[in-house]
Amino acid sequence: QTAAEGYGQHRSASRASERQIVNRVVFEGNKKIQKDVLLGELSTKARDPYSPATVQSDEALLREIYKRGGRGFATVSSRVVPLDNGRVDVVFTIKEGDKTGVKEINFVGNHAYSSTRLRNLMQTTEMNLLSWLKTSDVYDPDKIAQDEDAIRRFYLKHGYADFRIVQSDAAFDDAKGGWVVTIGVEEGQPYRVADVNVESRIPGVSAEDVRKRMKTSAGDVYDADAIEKGMESMTTDVMRRGYPFAQVRPAGVRDSQNNTIGLTYVVEEGPRVYVERINIRGNARTRDYVIRRELDLEEGDAYNKVLVDRAERRLNNLGYFKKVRVTNEPGSQPDRVVLNIDVEDQATGQFSVSGGYSTQDGIIGEVAVSESNFMGRGQYVRLAGQLGQRANGVQLSFTEPYFLGQRLAAGFDIFTKYVDNTKYGNYETRTSGGTIRFGLPITEEFSMQLRYSLYQTNLKVPNTYKKPYNDCSVPLPGYTTVFSPSDPGRGLYLYDGGPGALSYYPNCAYDGEASIAVKESRGNTITSLVGATLTYSTLDNVKDPHSGIFAEVRPEVAGLGGDSKFIRATGEARYYRELFDDVVGILKIQGGHISPIGGKDLRLTDQFFMGPTLVRGFAPSGIGPRDLNGDPATNGIGGTTYFGASVEVQFPIPLVPREIGLKGALFADAGTLYGYKGKRYFDLNNNGVIEGWGAMGCSTAGLPVQPECVNVYDSKSIRSSVGASILWQSPLGPIRFDYAYALSKATGDRTQAFRFSGGGSF
Amino acid sequence: CAKEVIVHGYMIDEVAMAKIRPGSSVEQVLTEMGTPTTTSTVGNKTFYYISQTRERRVQFINPSITDQRVAAVYFNGNFKVERVALYGLKDGEVFDFISRTTPTSGQERSFVRQLFKGLGAGNMNPFGV
Amino acid sequence: CSEGLDKFNPFADEKYKPEKVVDTPPDQLYNDGLARAANGNFVGAAKKFDEVIKIHPHSPYAKQALLMSAYANYEGGAYDDAIGSAKRYVTLYPSDKDAAYAQYLLAMSHYSMAPDVSRDQEQAEKAGQALNDLVTRYPNSEYVKDSKWKIQVIRDQLAGKEMEVGRYYLNRRNYGAAINRFRVVISRYQTTRHVEEALERLVEAYMAMGIVNEAQTAAAVLGHNFPDSQWYQDAHALLTKGGLTPREDKGSWISQAFGKAISLN
Repeated sequence: QTAAEGYGQHRSASRASERQIVNRVVFEGNKKIQKDVLLGELSTKARDPYSPATVQSDEALLREIYKRGGRGFATVSSRVVPLDNGRVDVVFTIKEGDKTGVKEINFVGNHAYSSTRLRNLMQTTEMNLLSWLKTSDVYDPDKIAQDEDAIRRFYLKHGYADFRIVQSDAAFDDAKGGWVVTIGVEEGQPYRVADVNVESRIPGVSAEDVRKRMKTSAGDVYDADAIEKGMESMTTDVMRRGYPFAQVRPAGVRDSQNNTIGLTYVVEEGPRVYVERINIRGNARTRDYVIRRELDLEEGDAYNKVLVDRAERRLNNLGYFKKVRVTNEPGSQPDRVVLNIDVEDQATGQFSVSGGYSTQDGIIGEVAVSESNFMGRGQYVRLAGQLGQRANGVQLSFTEPYFLGQRLAAGFDIFTKYVDNTKYGNYETRTSGGTIRFGLPITEEFSMQLRYSLYQTNLKVPNTYKKPYNDCSVPLPGYTTVFSPSDPGRGLYLYDGGPGALSYYPNCAYDGEASIAVKESRGNTITSLVGATLTYSTLDNVKDPHSGIFAEVRPEVAGLGGDSKFIRATGEARYYRELFDDVVGILKIQGGHISPIGGKDLRLTDQFFMGPTLVRGFAPSGIGPRDLNGDPATNGIGGTTYFGASVEVQFPIPLVPREIGLKGALFADAGTLYGYKGKRYFDLNNNGVIEGWGAMGCSTAGLPVQPECVNVYDSKSIRSSVGASILWQSPLGPIRFDYAYALSKATGDRTQAFRFSGGGSF
Repeated sequence: CAKEVIVHGYMIDEVAMAKIRPGSSVEQVLTEMGTPTTTSTVGNKTFYYISQTRERRVQFINPSITDQRVAAVYFNGNFKVERVALYGLKDGEVFDFISRTTPTSGQERSFVRQLFKGLGAGNMNPFGV
Repeated sequence: CSEGLDKFNPFADEKYKPEKVVDTPPDQLYNDGLARAANGNFVGAAKKFDEVIKIHPHSPYAKQALLMSAYANYEGGAYDDAIGSAKRYVTLYPSDKDAAYAQYLLAMSHYSMAPDVSRDQEQAEKAGQALNDLVTRYPNSEYVKDSKWKIQVIRDQLAGKEMEVGRYYLNRRNYGAAINRFRVVISRYQTTRHVEEALERLVEAYMAMGIVNEAQTAAAVLGHNFPDSQWYQDAHALLTKGGLTPREDKGSWISQAFGKAISLN
C-alpha cells in the first residue's frame, strides 16, 4: 500500500520541472526521532535542486533508520508541494507504528545451561510488559556481539574449554512484529583440571614459591578466568622478587577420554625490551604527574604487560576519565618501545540535590557539591548540607590522595550537626568540630586510617509546653502541678510563677521527663580524640558484594585535653558468599566497648546508644540500660559494651525483570547492650541532699520531688528479631525497606517493626 | 608482610657484562648488553647502563632505593672499548635538588571556570542520579 | 475547531503548513554581520557570516564572509569554529592576499587553547605547525615576524613540558629517566630558556649517581655558554662542594653544537 501510494504521488510530482530548487524539507508524524537528526541523514537538502531519485532513496533510508530504532512497522511516504515562487517543498509523512524490538532470543545446542540462564547473561532482553519503559529490547547487533562474548566467558569459566558459538543470526519476522535472534552454541565437554605444575625457567625462582600464588588446583573445574588471574598474580609475585621481565605462559594438555586438562605454568623471562618514553596525551584537565604517579612503570624500565594492564585498570578506577587507552609503538631502537597513554577527561564535578525519608531522621533533604579531580590535581572536595525534620547539618571535606608525594591520603572534615533526639531520648544535641585524617594503604587488602578529631557537643533538654521534658526541675506556669513547702496548707496547685514552688513528683514525670543523667549532661562537652581504623577487605565489588570478607576495627582514645576521657574500641566483620546463582549469604558480627580513664565517670553522650544498627526491629536508642524513674521508654542512658550478630540471605525476586533492580532479603539478628558506667546520683538542685538516695540505693517511694538518683535498669539479655526486606536500586538511589519482628526484648526496650531509608544517596 | 622488590631501569646481566673486555667492539657491546640507558652528553663516547633496585614494605611509603649500579663503558677514538667502570650506590652524593624552576606560559585554568566547566558538562541533574 | 486544538496539544504530529522561506540577500546578511562585529557581538556576527556562506555559496560575498567568519569566531573565543573556517579559506583561496591572515587566525586559535605545561600540549604543537606553514608559504607576509616570535614561545613551552616530566623523575631519583628527558631539551630545544636549567639538572643527576666526569662536562658547557646564568652558579656550587671544578672536553659534540648555534649572549 505504501509503495503504490508513494509511486502515484511521485508520478504526478515529476511533471514539475527538473531544475526546481527545494525550498524546505519537512517531516510529519516523527515523534520518536527528532527532525534535525533525520535532516542530517537525508541527501535531499533545502536550496539544492529537486531530484526525484534522491527523494526516493531518502524514503528507503528513513524506513531503515526506523527499523534499526525499534520501529520495524514504520511507513514512509513523500510528496512534493509546488510553491508560487517556483520552488518546491518536499514533505515526508511518517507513520511510526508500534515498537518492534527483539521479540525472541532462541538458543540452539545448549544442554548444560537453560536458555533463560543464558538470556540472563545478556544485556539485550526480550520484549515484555515493560517494553514501554526499557530500551534494552531494541535490536542492536553490537550489543548482541557483546552478549555473545559474555556467554563465551561464562562457559569458559565453568569448564567448557571447547565452547564455540557456531551460529548467530537475527531475522525480522513480520508476523511476530520484531526481531528473532537465534544463537547456536557447541558446548563440548566440561573439563576438570587433572594436575597443575609449575616449571620455572628463571634461575633463582623456584617453582615452589610461585605455586602458592595459583588460583587453580588439581580437581577443580577448568576456569579460564581463574587461570588468567592466577597467571597475573604469579607474574606479579616473580616480578616483585626483582625479575622485571618475568612472564607466565600457561600450557594445557587436553585428555578428551576422561575430559581433563593437564595444566603447566611456564615461568620465564620475556624479551628484554625497555620503555623508552611514556607519552601522556589528551589530558585537558588532569595534570601529567597525577597520571604518571599511578603507573608503577617508569621511563627506562623493563616493559611488562602485567604492569601496563594494571596501570590501565588503576587509571580507570580513578574515575577521572571517560576513556583510557594504553598503546605501545616501536621506539628508536629494536629493544625500545614507546608507551602512549591516551585519556579523555570526564566532568568529575557533581552537583546533587537528593531527598529521602528514614524512620530515624524523618524527612531529610541534601544538597551537595563535590569535585573528585579538583583543579586537575586529583584532590577530592565535597561541600554538603542536610535539612531534615529531626536533623540538619553542613559538612566540608577535602582529601589529597598523594600527601607529600607518598601514596598517603591526607584530608580533613569540618562539620556541624544538629539532632533533635526528642522522639527517642528527649534531648537535642548540636555537635560541631573537625577531623584530620591520614589514609595509609598497607597492602592490596589491608589499610589503616589514623585520625585526630576535636568536636564540641552541646546537649539541651527542651522545656516548652510541647516538650515539657524538664518541668520537674523548672516548673512551667499554668502547666506543672506544684506545691510550696513553705505554705503546706495550699496543697497542690497549678504553678502561677510564684517563688518557692516545687514541681510535684511524679505528675511532672508523666509528660516525658528527661532522666537525671540526661539533665546532668546538659551544656557543652569538648572531646579531643585520637583514633585509628584498621580495615581488611577482599570484597569482589564494593557496591554490590557477592563474595569476600570485610573487617574493620576502630580503637580510639579520648583525653588529650577536652572533657571526655575514655578508651573506646568498636569493630565489625562481614562475610559474603555466593550460595548459588546471584543468591548471596551474609554473616555479620559486631561489637564495641568503652571504659573511662583517669577515674572520671563516663559522660552520657559518650556511651553507646544502640538501635536498628545492632538488631533490626528496634527503634533508635531502643536497646540498652534505662532510668526507671519517669518514662523508661524514652530514657535510655547508654551502655558501655555491646555485641551483635546477623545472618542474611539476599536474592533476586523471581519473575521480576532484572533491569528493575529489585532484590529481596531474609535475615535474623541478635545482640545486646549493657554496662551503664555513668554517675548514679547528682545534687541537681544543690541543696546538699540527694533526694531518694539511701542505703538501699535509689528509691522514689513517697518522694514529692524528682529523685536525684538514677534507678538503673541494666540487663544483659539478648535481644533478637527475624525479618525480611526489599532492596530497590531505584533511579532516585538505593531504597531499602525492612520489616523485622522482635522475638525477645528487655523492659523499656522500644521496638520499631518498619524501617525505611532511601531516596538519594546519604 | 611480603617485601616488594622493584627494579627500575636496566636489568644488569652479570654473564653478558663479563664478556665485555677492553678492545671489544661497539657492536659486541650492543648485542651482549643491548641499548644503553643513556649515553654521555659528550659525543656518545660512553655508554651508561643504569640499574636501580628499590624495596617497599608498606604501600603508603614510596619504595626506598636499596641498590644502584651504573655500568659505564668507555670507548676510545675508533670505538673500541677502552675500559668498563662500575659505580655503586655509595658513589652517589645525597643532596637536595634546586627547587627553583624556569617559568612557562599557557593558560592556567582559572578556578571558577574549571569548577563550573566540570559541572556544566551535562550532569546538572536535580536528583543526583 | 480541531485544528485550533491541535495547536495546543504538544503531542500532536507536526502538521505540514506551506511556508515560503525568504532568503535575505547576501549583502544585507554580510553588513548585518559587520555591524554585530563592530559592537562586539562576535558570536552573533559569525552566525551571520556563516549564513552568507550557507545560503549564497556562489555570491561574491561568500569568500569575504568565510574570512570574516574565521575572524569573528576567533575574537568570540569559538576557536574550533574559527579553525574550521580558516582552514577552508586557506584551502579554497591559497594564493589570495588574505590567505596569510587566515593562516594566522588558524594558528592563533590553536595557540589560545594551549594549556599550561602540566597538561597535554597538543594544541601548542598544532599552533607551532600552523605558524611554520605560515612562515614557509607566505615568507613576506606582515605576520611572519610575529609568527617567528610565537614559534619560539611555543618551542619554549614544549621544552617546559619536557623539563616538567624530567623534574618529576629527578625528584623520584630515577636518574636514567630524568637524564634522558633533559637531553631531549638540550638537543632539540637548544634555543629555549630551559636549556640552562636542563644542563644544571644533568649536573645534579650525574652527581647524585657519582658519575663525576659527566657532571663536570655538563657544568663546563653551561658555564661556557651561559657564564652569568644563575643555573651556572648553582652547578658550580654543587661541583665545588664536591671539591671539583667544571672541566670542558674541547672535542665534545655538544660544545661544538653550541658554537654553531645562534650565540645568545
